[in-house]
Amino acid sequence: MTRGNPFPPRSSRQILRAPKWGDRIFFALTMLGALGLAGIIIAMVVALVHGATPAFDQIPFTSFLFGRIWDPGGCVNGTSTCVYGALPFIAGTLITSTIALLLAIPLSLGAAIFLTQHAPMWMREPVAQVVQLLAAVPSVVYGFWGLIVLVPIMRYDVNPVLAHDLGWTGLFGGPTNIGLTVLTASLVLSIMTVPTITAISRDAMEAVPRSQKEAAISLGATPWEVTRRSVLPYSRSGIVAGIVLGLGRALGETMAVTMTIGNRNAIPLSLLSQGQTIPSLIANDFFEAITPLEIPALMEMALFLLIITLAINLGARLILARLQLGRGAATE
Amino acid sequence: MSSTSGNATTPPAAPSDTMVRSKGKSRTGLYAAVAVIVVIIIVLAAGYAAGWFKTSSTKSSTTSCTSPTPAVLSGAGSTLVAPLMDQWSAVYTASTIGYSAVGSGAGINDITAKTVDFGASDAPLNPAQRAAVPSPGVNTIPESAGAAVPIYNLPGISGHLKFTGQILAAIYLGDITNWNNSALQAVNPGVSLPVASIVVVHRSDGSGTTFVFTSFLSASNSTWKTAYGHSTTINWPVGVGAKGNSGVTETVQSTVDAIGYVDINYALTNGVAFGAVQNPAGNFIVANITNIASAIRDSNVVFPSPTGDWYNVTVENAPGAGDYPMATLTYLFVYTDLGVAYGSSMSQTTAENLVNFLLWIVGSTGQSYAAPLYYVPLSSAAVTYDTTTINSITYNGAAIPTCVPS
Amino acid sequence: MTTRSDRGLRRKIFSHSMVVLSGLAIVAVMLPLFWIIYECVVLGGSHLTLNYFTQGTPPPCSPISCEAGGGLTMIQGSFIVVALATLYAVPIGIAAAIFAVEYGGGGALGALSRALSMAADVLSGVPSIVIGVFVYVLILYYDHGIVFSVTSGSLALGAIMLPIVMRTTEEALRTVPHSVREAALALGMTRWKISLRIVLISALPGVLTGILLAIARAVGEAAPLLLLDNTTLPRFLGFNYPAQSLSLGIYLWADSPYKNLQNLAWETALVLLIFVLVLSLTSRLALNRLSRKWKA
Repeated sequence: MTRGNPFPPRSSRQILRAPKWGDRIFFALTMLGALGLAGIIIAMVVALVHGATPAFDQIPFTSFLFGRIWDPGGCVNGTSTCVYGALPFIAGTLITSTIALLLAIPLSLGAAIFLTQHAPMWMREPVAQVVQLLAAVPSVVYGFWGLIVLVPIMRYDVNPVLAHDLGWTGLFGGPTNIGLTVLTASLVLSIMTVPTITAISRDAMEAVPRSQKEAAISLGATPWEVTRRSVLPYSRSGIVAGIVLGLGRALGETMAVTMTIGNRNAIPLSLLSQGQTIPSLIANDFFEAITPLEIPALMEMALFLLIITLAINLGARLILARLQLGRGAATE
Repeated sequence: MSSTSGNATTPPAAPSDTMVRSKGKSRTGLYAAVAVIVVIIIVLAAGYAAGWFKTSSTKSSTTSCTSPTPAVLSGAGSTLVAPLMDQWSAVYTASTIGYSAVGSGAGINDITAKTVDFGASDAPLNPAQRAAVPSPGVNTIPESAGAAVPIYNLPGISGHLKFTGQILAAIYLGDITNWNNSALQAVNPGVSLPVASIVVVHRSDGSGTTFVFTSFLSASNSTWKTAYGHSTTINWPVGVGAKGNSGVTETVQSTVDAIGYVDINYALTNGVAFGAVQNPAGNFIVANITNIASAIRDSNVVFPSPTGDWYNVTVENAPGAGDYPMATLTYLFVYTDLGVAYGSSMSQTTAENLVNFLLWIVGSTGQSYAAPLYYVPLSSAAVTYDTTTINSITYNGAAIPTCVPS
Repeated sequence: MTTRSDRGLRRKIFSHSMVVLSGLAIVAVMLPLFWIIYECVVLGGSHLTLNYFTQGTPPPCSPISCEAGGGLTMIQGSFIVVALATLYAVPIGIAAAIFAVEYGGGGALGALSRALSMAADVLSGVPSIVIGVFVYVLILYYDHGIVFSVTSGSLALGAIMLPIVMRTTEEALRTVPHSVREAALALGMTRWKISLRIVLISALPGVLTGILLAIARAVGEAAPLLLLDNTTLPRFLGFNYPAQSLSLGIYLWADSPYKNLQNLAWETALVLLIFVLVLSLTSRLALNRLSRKWKA
């Protein structure tokens, strides 16, 4: 697995002193691209921080992070003070994304392995096209399908079984007469994430040189062992990239979640309760915000989501680096 | 995928040899690029011929005045009145109307930030929003009306189930949890209510429908009033949240034993079962355009000044025997002086276009499009009031000449 | 002896069951997906006629008028806003990916390129509504007249597309082995020619996947457009005006109480899927023919 150029320059001075002006211009152009990407992210963080500043100033941080009640309208209709607690939404986001990924990763990897290693040749391209097509299905269509098709199935067929048989785990408590639950939303999210992970993993696995696989076969490996010992390690970086992009979609998904999760601004105590995620809350509350602090509080939550995403990404990269270090010379 | 990339067993000389050799011969990429560009040019040309890039529309004929050059007007706000705005944009040809259904709250933010020419909302400006509007301030102009109705999904029950404000409040407080509750049974004698728990559905996003529904609940039940009050956004004690009127409708329609509340035009166009609500006179009224209109008339609502505080204006619980109790007005917001507000970004022509459009909306032609779409037309008192307000809009201190198309 | 063949047998059985499992995985993946496509076909296909491509958006169905209308206005708007977004996102994404791969290694540049990858990953996790809010705030600051416009919509869509293009291009570039670069260097090719003509071209299938995924995502994305490019304007008036789009039409009308708009929304969903499929197929075909010529 290559990691870049065999002769990378050691510094930008080295590049700029290169004899060919073509190389210098190329460097400048790619640097522009890199700066463009960096610039967008920095601009976004700055805009969010700027927007969230009133919330930082006026809402105590611990009551925001650990607050369980979200009532931005209480002070307007005179019933109570306006309270801005983000904990239910942080919890909801983490729970739905985790379950979505736990379901999506094995499925996607299995599908990608099948597509690249075991499927008959006539099947590979059409099936790959269909999987890629699914990335184009708009979120609202997934949400619709979830609401019309999946929710009744969950309510009448799946939830009672889960509550009855797996209730001892403590994960499936609570009333089961509503199909709009954290579990349903997680299922829809996992279905939405699969195309991304499958498409990118498939490309990564396709790029494995035949020599690698042939070497393993010649040593007597079974097909699974070829996959496990030659294909997967070689394509690991690409697979992780696919997973991370898929996770990005899961964390940031708005519409499909809004239509299936039940939109209850409370910490879900069971997988069968209703909940709420940060993006869904923002989509619900942003357009009709009535108090001056509501939008800043939403932006503060968006910043939290950014931090969570950053933390997960760092974690994934650390794991990847550990795996590669452990393998030593096995990687190219 | 038939070919893999970068096969390490190819001899090193092959890549550049192949490159050099086939560079001259492979023109597929070039052809493809040319084809794409040609297609784009054809599409754009056809579009031009079809009038895509023309901004002007034909001037409409009026009897005695000269209408201004057509301009593009922009508005934003309420999703509730979006279908009506769609209809108005389609038939009003004297200007090109672009309405963005971003939600009442966002619409209020947009008019405050002066990114649009008019804002639309289902609920009037609350004190905080009103204070945030910069000078010269906005006029509040009611342009349509609607009502909230309770909808439910009970397959065995035909006709319109009866509800009172007390019962609805108790359901949404979580005090009444079953359909066969005694209070519900008492107002629905002879109806066999199912032995099932009520699945409560409310709005997850802020909305004027919530505003009118919770105003009604507050007026009917003091516990609700002190604990939750009335607002576009509520910290609901029980229930599932769905986004938008359509989300509530969709959720109720796919969940047996559910109850929700939506605007009248959703209930009437969808054919979803909705309930009768008891009015102050004691009668259970099934909402329709007529009894909502009569409610607005009979409420004898006194409008404040156009730039005043409208937050407590209500047309609910009208006294008439046949009036529907959960009626509401919807509002437009327009700056009092367009030149002062927008400066050079709004020309005199655009200002004239805007005023003409507003007068047309509240006039008989515009209002005639309301009832077919299940919106409630304004009462004549409201029309008179609005016409005066719109005529008072100035451009840099001077009155704006009007020429309303028929 | 017995133990060795036992172990061999066990390995074979294990391998076969893993193959079966992966086959089940592909079935499990295809099942809900076919279901969803079926949903779109049934709901959208029942009324779909060629009028869809010649008529504009109709007003809501009422006793006054109940036209079926068509998606021409939305197609026009979506085409322009997504094309603009692609124009922003693809060059920046590919350039950034090349930077990350070609100049990544050690030292400051290497650290920058790793940070860049991570930044792209984080950006891909930002909810599309937040990107819409960010662009809203930005444009409001600079020119509040064009807050609702094709320009701002395309900026938001471009920001959504950018990390997808960048990361998939980066990974595709990384699959190109050392030997190819070394060979070209040995022949005296300049660095930039190697990057563009050999490495990028070799990685083209992966790059293409990324671009297609990004376009598919952008054309189906409604949340930022809801805030920035949402309108009743009947045709494209210019880049400073908003325009209707396919994804918003689906979002706004999929559950509209007005039957003609609801039908239009589902027809649009179907048309959108067909468009992405056609785009994907034709570009793969073109790419396969190109690859065959480049890789004698």
